[in-house]
Amino acid sequence: MNDPKVMKERQTVFVVDDDEAARESLRWLLESVGHHVNCPASAREFLESYDGSEPGCLVLDVRMPGMSGLELQNHLIERGWCLPVIVVTGHGDVPMAVRAMKAGAIDFLQKPYNDQTLLDRIQQALELCSQRRQNRSELALIRANHDHLTQREREVAERVVAGKANKVIAIELGLSPKTIEVYRANVMFKMQAHSLSELVQMWMRLHVEAGELS
Amino acid sequence: MQFLVHPPLWALLITVLILIGLVLYVGRLNLNLRHSKKVLEVEIGERRRAEENLMQNENHLRQIIATEPECVKLQTPEGILLEMNPAGLALMEAGQPDEIIGTSVYNIIAPEFRDDYRKLSTRVFAGESGVMEFQIISLKGRRRWMETHAVPLRDRCNKVIALLGITRDITARKHAEEGVRQHYRELAHASRVNTMGEMASGLAHELNQPLAAIANYSHGCLRRIRSGTGTVDDLTRAIEQVCNQADRAAEIIRSLRGFVNKADSPHQPQDIRDIVHEAILIVGPEARTHEVEINLKFMPDMPRFMGNAIQIEQVILNLIRNAVEAMSNMPPVLRRIDLRTSIEGNMAVVEVRDFGPGLPHETLARIFDPFFTTKMTGMGMGLPICRSIVEAHGGTLSAFHNEKGCGLTVRFTLRRAMEETLHE
Repeated sequence: MNDPKVMKERQTVFVVDDDEAARESLRWLLESVGHHVNCPASAREFLESYDGSEPGCLVLDVRMPGMSGLELQNHLIERGWCLPVIVVTGHGDVPMAVRAMKAGAIDFLQKPYNDQTLLDRIQQALELCSQRRQNRSELALIRANHDHLTQREREVAERVVAGKANKVIAIELGLSPKTIEVYRANVMFKMQAHSLSELVQMWMRLHVEAGELS
Repeated sequence: MQFLVHPPLWALLITVLILIGLVLYVGRLNLNLRHSKKVLEVEIGERRRAEENLMQNENHLRQIIATEPECVKLQTPEGILLEMNPAGLALMEAGQPDEIIGTSVYNIIAPEFRDDYRKLSTRVFAGESGVMEFQIISLKGRRRWMETHAVPLRDRCNKVIALLGITRDITARKHAEEGVRQHYRELAHASRVNTMGEMASGLAHELNQPLAAIANYSHGCLRRIRSGTGTVDDLTRAIEQVCNQADRAAEIIRSLRGFVNKADSPHQPQDIRDIVHEAILIVGPEARTHEVEINLKFMPDMPRFMGNAIQIEQVILNLIRNAVEAMSNMPPVLRRIDLRTSIEGNMAVVEVRDFGPGLPHETLARIFDPFFTTKMTGMGMGLPICRSIVEAHGGTLSAFHNEKGCGLTVRFTLRRAMEETLHE
């Protein structure tokens, strides 16, 4: 927080708890270390006010009337939001912890918790969030570049990434090695790849994401 | 016709006739007198018999009153005892009638009951009758429980001249009742402790909330003080919050301690609203855990009822827990409990309504039977204990399906607090 590099973009710690004292006291603690804090009183209130664009993390009480913490986690996944979730509970039973972690929580804390532990976890969550966001924007760039490739360029690129020599590709596609070389240069340019290994990495990331989505 | 003119003969004849007349008259008079005498004799006899009857009757009555095992007494408006039978004297442990007769009844009545007895006496001399239970302190200093039926004693002009009281010793009955009460107090206490055990995890959570808040506020204060960023105003506000949360935790502890306390709370006029809030303080966390919303609908100006706060809290708590459990298979949005209070005649009414699936009729008929349970881990004593508590408070506990929609309503009544227990 004193480190200007971390403060590139303002991050918000969202505290969702139905107990007013719990959330307001947490706001007081988090503000003491300079976090920007937002405290919706219920899962529903959070969903109504949050649009997915604000970076930060979510500190969530699992048991709340109305929509439970677990349900809210499912909503986040459905909407494709990458806000890291730290689950807090008063009666931390093992099944509840397992369910929360399966639903994508990065951590599970039991009340009463050590304040330093919570602050550390929140710091980690915020870093994870910027990492995830950076990842996302990189991926979005790769995808946009990929979308600009022509059908033929994509065919060439796939074969290049598979480690095939230009000659082999030329035979497979029934083109001259010279033409393949031109296509290959186009692919490298459009994908903003500076080396073959970089192109391979990009390709992998695209495929991993496609696999995750399916 | 010579003798017709003979004067002495005439005179003789007349004299004889007169004599005969006289004899006849006297005879007749005698007859009349005899008759009158007979009539008088009969009348005197009847009167004597009547008097004898009367004496016998009075004797009977005296004997009945004298041998009557209950105390019979007559008393003035001021409480001076005019008469008392031997049974009464024995109850008061008086050796001689004059130790009691002529003294005030208030010397014998235990001080805490004197005001109520004075009210009863006033009403009797106004022409009403009444029943009252009270304690006396006998002449030898022993306390005994009495039940008296007091009626006005009237003269021929229908004027109330005394209070006639029939009083019986109910000490043995009171002791037996106390024994039964003691028994069921212990049972109710055991059930409360058991309930607490079942609810321990939810209650731990409830205590954790203020403790976690206190920790957060304090650590937040420390960090600000160390970094020198906190203003006095900010820090003061935070410390105020620490105090509030400490009070909140203390309140929960106090409530729990009260709930599992073995000693009985006093039997006195109670506000149903306060008791419901106490119960919610304890059962609230469990309801929240099961995502059940509790709606309270208090009737405004609800009269107080007579009873024991902890026991009624136990009933309410039990009913809410049952309702929460009844809805565990319902979707969370439908999980809701309505708690409503109302008045019906002399009774305060409390209804706990759930919106669960209800119960089959054969099950509903048995839910108040001891050891009958539909739960995996239940003992089947919750509702029977609730029922005995409510009945000990002069009320009834019943369960029925909701008229509209699904779910079950459990309803109990409690006697409204009254200043006296007199009746017409």
